[in-house]
Amino acid sequence: MYNQPARGIRKSSAVITVAAGATPEVLYQLTNRGTVTRTVILRKIMCYSAVGNCILRIGTGLAPLVPIIPFFVAINGVDTEWTENDIPEVEVSADLTVQSNVLGVQVQVEVEEIGA
Amino acid sequence: MPTLPQLHTYKAGPIEQIVMPGENVGLWINKVYEFYKVVFIETITRSDPVSVNLGALAAGGQSAITQMTMLQMPDQEFAQVRSEVLDDVDIAVYQGRADQRHKLHNRAATLGRMTSLFDPCAHQTELFEFEDNFIFLQATNNTDYPLTVARVVFWGYRYVCEPLTEYSWSAKRLPEYWTRVPATAHL
Repeated sequence: MYNQPARGIRKSSAVITVAAGATPEVLYQLTNRGTVTRTVILRKIMCYSAVGNCILRIGTGLAPLVPIIPFFVAINGVDTEWTENDIPEVEVSADLTVQSNVLGVQVQVEVEEIGA
Repeated sequence: MPTLPQLHTYKAGPIEQIVMPGENVGLWINKVYEFYKVVFIETITRSDPVSVNLGALAAGGQSAITQMTMLQMPDQEFAQVRSEVLDDVDIAVYQGRADQRHKLHNRAATLGRMTSLFDPCAHQTELFEFEDNFIFLQATNNTDYPLTVARVVFWGYRYVCEPLTEYSWSAKRLPEYWTRVPATAHL
């Protein structure tokens, strides 16, 4: 495991219950600052589905969502976690968005916000 | 037995003030040292108001040489600042728009993400700015993809001074004890 020093502060999204199938929605809203933009790195994903197997995508943008990691599957009735050892270090300067092919799946992410 | 603090410029470890209030400094400005007594010191915390975004850069792109107006100091004050580059750009540092800092004979060193990896306390990034002897930064994106931001954050100390007019570098009338502060480039 590559232990990298912290680059920013750890924050988390709310627990999102995806409201509509095949429709992106905001997952984590990047903090606004007065002088310099913050950036965000996805560090941890937790999800749970009781609505069947779901294909999830996390990225930026709402029309359309542009993925920052490959699609992944939340298996029905199983809680799923990906930690930073499993997630590529993708840094973006926009809100994170989520999309599922089925509504009702729960998702929460932990992020590292970099800036001042 | 208590010991006096050993204070000096570019000190390794977390940033410390370079003198105590009441001590004398010689500020290197316009190729001479100008002498001042420090009367007051306070911290400048690493925060949004003392940060800069040099903008989005295309692959191979370069920003303008940008004046760090937010680091301007009032009359008879100077700042000691360290910095961290947050994005994968190479930052060239100037003091005086055409006078590069971190100079060798044929090249000048730059700051980048690698700097903080090998110099976590950022002591080698330390710069001093007296009044409006501005620091300028230029970012270069040497990656093969565009970057949306090129950010640098600063932190350090503010020093309020009063002039010591009885001393003169050119006349070789020097204080008995004083700390040399490289407040502009040595050309």
